[in-house]
Amino acid sequence: MADRSASPFARPHRQPPSQTLRLAGTYALLTLGAVVAILPFLYTISVSLMNLTEANGGAWLPRTPQWNNYLDAWNQGHFSNYFWNSVRIAAITVAGELLFCTLAAYAFARMEFWGKNLLFSLLLATLMLPEAITWVPNFITVSWLGRVGPVPWINNWPALTVPFMASAFSIFLLRQFFLQVPNDLWDSAQIDGASHLRYLLQIVVPLSKAALMTLVLFGFIGSWNALAWPILVTTTPEWRPITYGFFAFADEAGAQFHLQMAGSVLTMAPVVLLYFFTQQTFIEGIATSGLKG
Amino acid sequence: MWDNCTGDVRLNGKSTSASAGMQRSFLKAPWRSPLSGLQARKLREALLAYFFLLPAFLIVGLFGIFPLFFAAFMSTHRGLNRIPGTFDGLGNYLQAVGDFSYLLGFWGSLLLLAVAVRLLWHGARSAREQRSRYWPWALPGVALGLFAATLIGWVFRLLPLLLEIPSQMRGARNTPETFRQLLGEALGQPQASLLLWLAAALLALLPASLWWIERTRDCRRPTRSFLTPFAAATLLAVLAASIGWLVWAELQKATAAALTQGEQFDIQAQLLLISVGFLLLASSWWVWTSASHRTAMASVLARLGGATLLMLGAWLLIAEAPRVLAQGDLQWWRALQTTFYYSLGTIPPQLLVALVLAVLLFQEIRGRSLFRVIYFLPYIAPFVGTAAVFKILFSNRPTAPANNLLAAVGLSPLNWINEPAGLFTLTLPGLPLPEWLAGPSLALAVIMLYGVWTFFGFNTVVFLAGLSNIPRELYEAAAIDGAGRWPQFRHITLPLLSPTLYFLTLYSVIGTFKAFNHIYVLRTGAALGTTDTASVVIFQAFQRDTRYGYASALAILLLLAILLLTVVNNRIAAQRVHYG
Repeated sequence: MADRSASPFARPHRQPPSQTLRLAGTYALLTLGAVVAILPFLYTISVSLMNLTEANGGAWLPRTPQWNNYLDAWNQGHFSNYFWNSVRIAAITVAGELLFCTLAAYAFARMEFWGKNLLFSLLLATLMLPEAITWVPNFITVSWLGRVGPVPWINNWPALTVPFMASAFSIFLLRQFFLQVPNDLWDSAQIDGASHLRYLLQIVVPLSKAALMTLVLFGFIGSWNALAWPILVTTTPEWRPITYGFFAFADEAGAQFHLQMAGSVLTMAPVVLLYFFTQQTFIEGIATSGLKG
Repeated sequence: MWDNCTGDVRLNGKSTSASAGMQRSFLKAPWRSPLSGLQARKLREALLAYFFLLPAFLIVGLFGIFPLFFAAFMSTHRGLNRIPGTFDGLGNYLQAVGDFSYLLGFWGSLLLLAVAVRLLWHGARSAREQRSRYWPWALPGVALGLFAATLIGWVFRLLPLLLEIPSQMRGARNTPETFRQLLGEALGQPQASLLLWLAAALLALLPASLWWIERTRDCRRPTRSFLTPFAAATLLAVLAASIGWLVWAELQKATAAALTQGEQFDIQAQLLLISVGFLLLASSWWVWTSASHRTAMASVLARLGGATLLMLGAWLLIAEAPRVLAQGDLQWWRALQTTFYYSLGTIPPQLLVALVLAVLLFQEIRGRSLFRVIYFLPYIAPFVGTAAVFKILFSNRPTAPANNLLAAVGLSPLNWINEPAGLFTLTLPGLPLPEWLAGPSLALAVIMLYGVWTFFGFNTVVFLAGLSNIPRELYEAAAIDGAGRWPQFRHITLPLLSPTLYFLTLYSVIGTFKAFNHIYVLRTGAALGTTDTASVVIFQAFQRDTRYGYASALAILLLLAILLLTVVNNRIAAQRVHYG
């Protein structure tokens, strides 16, 4: 039997009485999980297409879909501004992250230097710090830098992007991937006279496209989802990202659930679409990034 | 670097005896010039590596490591709105947790000292086992530790001066020249520069003492570096001393204040009672666990003794604790309780659901990857969007979907996300429960539900990765022995999955204690703060009240709680986790 070799639970030699029943139960439970996971999304879409009475009356489905809601929410919530801000912030953050984390991860994976273990454990220790402890100090640091430096940081891109351009998690993730590049490649590259930088750019980076893609995805989603820090460092809509924009809009739209949900769909759409297109890379990235205990 | 006795690889780059060098000359290039050969290549590689690390470490250092010290600094100041204000000792901590902060400081510094001694002891033992020299490393180690401590002290001295620069640069004086001049003034401040010179002297001591170790070493014995234990122990001892000094100064101040007001000052007695209570609890735990190694009679006696100690300790704590609690910030204590509830209410359900789904999914199942994609969706979707849906699903309107479901089975509608009443109060309406026994509020329960819904997919994916690491042969062998599905799960899957389970537990515990974003979005005014976890209270103290010093002190307390939980988790894991 084909499924016998693939199942992790090898069956004992006596034939179980009700194989089909067990299989049905398995599918029922799995489907229940899927329904629970996806129902809130379906409900969001459903409410986003209702009119005001239906939305407030607790209906499950709209009678006629009101596609206008999206346009209304987009205009009322100034979504074009917030979208553009979030895209800008995510692009700058991810670009910086790619550059800085690749260099650092390569140094940890392939180079020998004094204090390597100390620096690496220092880096990993930052993962323990709760975000709450960094709020006050980083806010003071950022406003200090903006007031003594040439560019203001508060209400501007540096405060929103620079602190996230290097993180212990990203460096660790990339290092794990770089360690998998075979040593022989480095040996032969060295014989051909390649420097570390050239080896990194011409051999390691092309070989680690999947890892870099994972980093881009994590970086993009992390940046798109940030809320606490943008609340702290933006006071005007000029650089305020979509999360804060939607948070404010949901407050403002109040009982107009249909508009609120249309805004919610608009906020979630880019990330969810990106996820659907890249889900294979993404889930593999989670599973292989050393999250195995 | 120093375990090479012939001395080709040397910190100061000097080659020693020519004969030793000659013996190895067929392996390594002979000494030529400082800029070529193995030595130079290593140096160049190290420099390049530091260059690669520089940008990342500038960012992580400034926004990830430095904040810890900065927060510690801010927490001892009466800081309001960006200005550190005057030094306030333990003032912020006293406001948050009352007299408990003395206790925390006293036992914390004792613990740090104990860890330092343990580090040294372990180092000495492994040195003895390897017949390596140990004590000569004390000089460079202590120098390195003191160097780090002096550097931290220098930063603390410099911080208030640096923070004043922007206010001195207002208006027309806002030029790069003024900044450079003010920076120079701050750096040239006598105390700060004295500390910097001290640090430099200590750093200079390092190569000198390393050179001395190199000179006096015996080539026949192996030599390992024991720099780290000495350096770490020194740093810990300095930290313990400064915490101890803070506590001592604060106690003196409190005693003096009580004397001038002519009040009875019983803090020492109170602290003693609570400390004894904790010690009794700890020893009862020790006696209880040691009972399992003994014969039946001794075991029963030991357990009885343990139970007595437990009751004594608990009685002392229960008698003293409410008075201490009342001194602290009630909102903060409640926030800690809420965080604890949130942790307890989300982690076990989400791990259980994820484990069941992962095991079911790890079979020959049609549409396996589709299921996985769907389960992962809640984790990936922006939480502001999904939280908004939950707010509508569980709103207090009678027509809210959750209330529609209740109506369908004939129950009256609930307030859900707006309900401040505790779960136990709601389920036992007749019973007048005290506030601390009311349980998590219904609003918090909805947030827990949201937490489980968001994170079960992530846990499922990680469990699946763990399951795929278990060798198939084990199951086949068990099946041949006639083991059914449940025994296979119980005796193969569960033990071999325990590292994953441990990782996920630790990750979730830390995660729930850090949790902020979705709780902040889901909090409602009507829930009367019953959903405010520690992070939310810190955020409010900082953002709404601009009490920077107090918020920093609360954040440090939260970090201590997370550290404690991590240690406890590791302790439990060390006994239970099976690394097959």
